[in-house]
Amino acid sequence: MMLFLVSACKRENFITKFEVEETPSFGDNLNKDKDKTNIEFHSILTTNLFQKPSSVTELSRTDRVIQSCGDKTLINEVIISNYMNTSFVILPSRQMMVDSTEKFVIDTYIRFFIRRPSEAEKTWFINFINANKSNPSFRPELVYSSFAASDEYMFY
Amino acid sequence: MKRREFVKKAATLTAGSIVMPYLLPSGRVFAKTNAPLAEHVVYVIFGGGLRQQDSILKRYLADSQGFNSEGNILNNMLDGAAPTSKVAYGIGEGGTSPIPKILSQSLQTQGTIFSEMRAISGGHYGGLNSLLTGSGVAGQGLKVRPINPTVFEYARRFGGFKATDTWFIGNSIGNSLPLLNSSKHPDFGLPYGANFFAPNITFGSDGYATLKNAKIYHPQEELEPMYKMKNFLDNSFNIKKGDMPGIKNTDEERTQIKEFIANTFIRQAAGQIPMPPVGGGDGATLGYAAEVLRVFKPKLLAVNMSSIDGCHGNFTGYLQAMHRADHALGFLWNYIETQIPEMSGKTILCFVPECGRNKDHNPILDANDWYGYDHGDSNSLRVFGGMVGPNVQRNLMVGNEANPIGKVTDFNLTIAEILGYKSEVKSAGIIDPQAQSLFDRI
Repeated sequence: MMLFLVSACKRENFITKFEVEETPSFGDNLNKDKDKTNIEFHSILTTNLFQKPSSVTELSRTDRVIQSCGDKTLINEVIISNYMNTSFVILPSRQMMVDSTEKFVIDTYIRFFIRRPSEAEKTWFINFINANKSNPSFRPELVYSSFAASDEYMFY
Repeated sequence: MKRREFVKKAATLTAGSIVMPYLLPSGRVFAKTNAPLAEHVVYVIFGGGLRQQDSILKRYLADSQGFNSEGNILNNMLDGAAPTSKVAYGIGEGGTSPIPKILSQSLQTQGTIFSEMRAISGGHYGGLNSLLTGSGVAGQGLKVRPINPTVFEYARRFGGFKATDTWFIGNSIGNSLPLLNSSKHPDFGLPYGANFFAPNITFGSDGYATLKNAKIYHPQEELEPMYKMKNFLDNSFNIKKGDMPGIKNTDEERTQIKEFIANTFIRQAAGQIPMPPVGGGDGATLGYAAEVLRVFKPKLLAVNMSSIDGCHGNFTGYLQAMHRADHALGFLWNYIETQIPEMSGKTILCFVPECGRNKDHNPILDANDWYGYDHGDSNSLRVFGGMVGPNVQRNLMVGNEANPIGKVTDFNLTIAEILGYKSEVKSAGIIDPQAQSLFDRI
């Protein structure tokens, strides 16, 4: 009996420990299968470019204009270039793009696509920006415009 | 090479060249199957619901308001004297002066009119669908693209035309009009869709505020790298065909359309957009259609009008809109023939309403105490249509009230015959099985 009691199970010392599991906060482009409505698209775009939301009047006006053109990508490009021609647009400097190209590329992907670029994408963009350094017209505005006009930016 | 081997290879090559079609760069599979009758088609949807009695039958108020006043108010389209009493459709105080005709010869004299055709639907959207798809499908839902391919998709797929060769100009963005530049058919769809503008929005106050200030980027220094980056991003995303939000133009076409948008605002400010001499109704829509024709010289342009639909509650306004639509149509044909040398003598103009109007009036009276007319009964299926241009018989009237000839769905096949791919459209087997080319109806 004594032997049984000695070898019986013992009470465990429970240590309750809560931790945060590491989860990447940026997704990939594979799950973006819902296209943004015109109003969603331009609401997000203007917030990206101006750091403040557009008015409902502006958004519904833009929606009508997009509907009035058959090539949505094209009309978005024109609207984007219209935004780029205002003094309120907030863009990184060309110096920043040239000096910290990798950071610029990663930030731009996160800003527009809510994801980090793959290694191949990052390498392509870094090479492309480096190859265009000598072109004085090559500015962050062009990079932002191409992201804003891309197919991926039209989906979420 | 041994003789036997040579014969075998030669036979294989010959058989292959017969069996395997030659894939043209534009994506079309076969060479055109009939000799084109013209190089361009302008397809005017004389729309909004045109009552047969008040238009082609020239009964003016006699068949609608019980007044003994008959006559022709479509003086560019049809031959015939204008009404002599109760004239309210023209210009000036009370609309008593008809607008002077633009064409020295009516379209009836210059071409062929099918005076009693049958529409597929007594409603606008079903009617527009039947005109643009050539399909007899009656269950087309609103706010969705057509089930069956449009005339534009046939033109691009079988005619091998690029996106800027095909245009649809809408008079608004209502009534699901922007969805009619392409169907959702799996074998056709947006990759073959037409460019679309609704000029009253694109170049109206909305467009002015949204597009006018757009930058014009340098094609090589700025646009080229921008397009390279965009194309890289698009290739990485690899959008599925069915998910495309709109039609696609090539980079070169996109640049051309952007320049067109910018120049249109400049020409608009300078008063240089060609417009019908008398404004109102759908005139501006046809003016901008003329501007698209001037710049792009498309193979196929369709333009929609609908002011005539005011007839529901304003019969006088309906008569005025019909008269102005005729004026605008005369202007457009005259502009093509006199101001666009690349299209003059090489263009066939087709015109037809999407539906007619009811036989009996509704209870709504306008300022002249004239009753309005809705649409939807069997009289709404009575319409007329016509065509004019090279290879179209002049001064020919086909069919009459007692002997209807032609259906609105015939226009799709007619356009295919004009541009040279009729048998492909027929073989696709999607259009109304009773449809024929209007040339065959003659």
